[in-house]
Amino acid sequence: MPYWAEKIGVPRALGVEFPFAQTLGMPYDVSFQNAVIQQALEVLETAPAPGTVIHSPLKWPEPAPEALADWQPAFPSPIVKELAPNIRDLIRQKRLSSR
Amino acid sequence: MPVDSFKFLPRLIARIYELQEPELRIPIPWTSLPGPLSECKFGLVTTGGLFHKILDPPFDLAREQVEPAWGDPTYRTIPSNITQEQVGVSHLHINTSYAEADFNVLLPVQRFQELESQGIIGSLARDHYSFMGYQGYPPDTNAWHRRYGPRVAKKFKDNKVNCVLLTPS
Repeated sequence: MPYWAEKIGVPRALGVEFPFAQTLGMPYDVSFQNAVIQQALEVLETAPAPGTVIHSPLKWPEPAPEALADWQPAFPSPIVKELAPNIRDLIRQKRLSSR
Repeated sequence: MPVDSFKFLPRLIARIYELQEPELRIPIPWTSLPGPLSECKFGLVTTGGLFHKILDPPFDLAREQVEPAWGDPTYRTIPSNITQEQVGVSHLHINTSYAEADFNVLLPVQRFQELESQGIIGSLARDHYSFMGYQGYPPDTNAWHRRYGPRVAKKFKDNKVNCVLLTPS
């Protein structure tokens, strides 16, 4: 996701609007995987300066609600389980501390 | 159209991300492309939690279960000749079934072998590397920066790899 690439600073990146766990495309979809790789190689060849982030125009072939549900693990990760009950308090604390 | 990084994120995880304030590392590292792709040697790195089921143990998810704010910072070697049946995926934050069906969705070794045979890239490294992307909360990537990242970089350099594709998850 370009969100992190842009925040942290990377030499060059291709940002894709795909669900987690399938960074190059769906299993066995060789032509889609190749299209992503082709775009990544173009970024490698043409990026003019550090911090270049190109946003891919490729669209995920599955409807968003299904894709959002499908990439997640069967059970919430331990940290999500731990943070979930307190997330509102954490956000409130962060907003207060950034004022 | 710009990519929406949060399109496939549940609101809770998006909020957890927004709580984090990663530092922009200046100067951003940069190495120029050393030549035409057809003369470059490529290596692959993923943070998808892949491991070789016969040669290596999975990432330490048992410790993460009891210490949720900790994530295993080590790495695993994935040789180019690995078969799908030999690929394991240990990662508590994603549905691992996609990479267990076709590991190219996270580490596109077979796609790059095809590029090598077509002459589009010069060659492909013998070994590639996998990390497990969850590095605790708040994230602590010191072990990656100081220990494991440099080790992987040295292995690539020793093998004359001069281009690396990193695929996160």
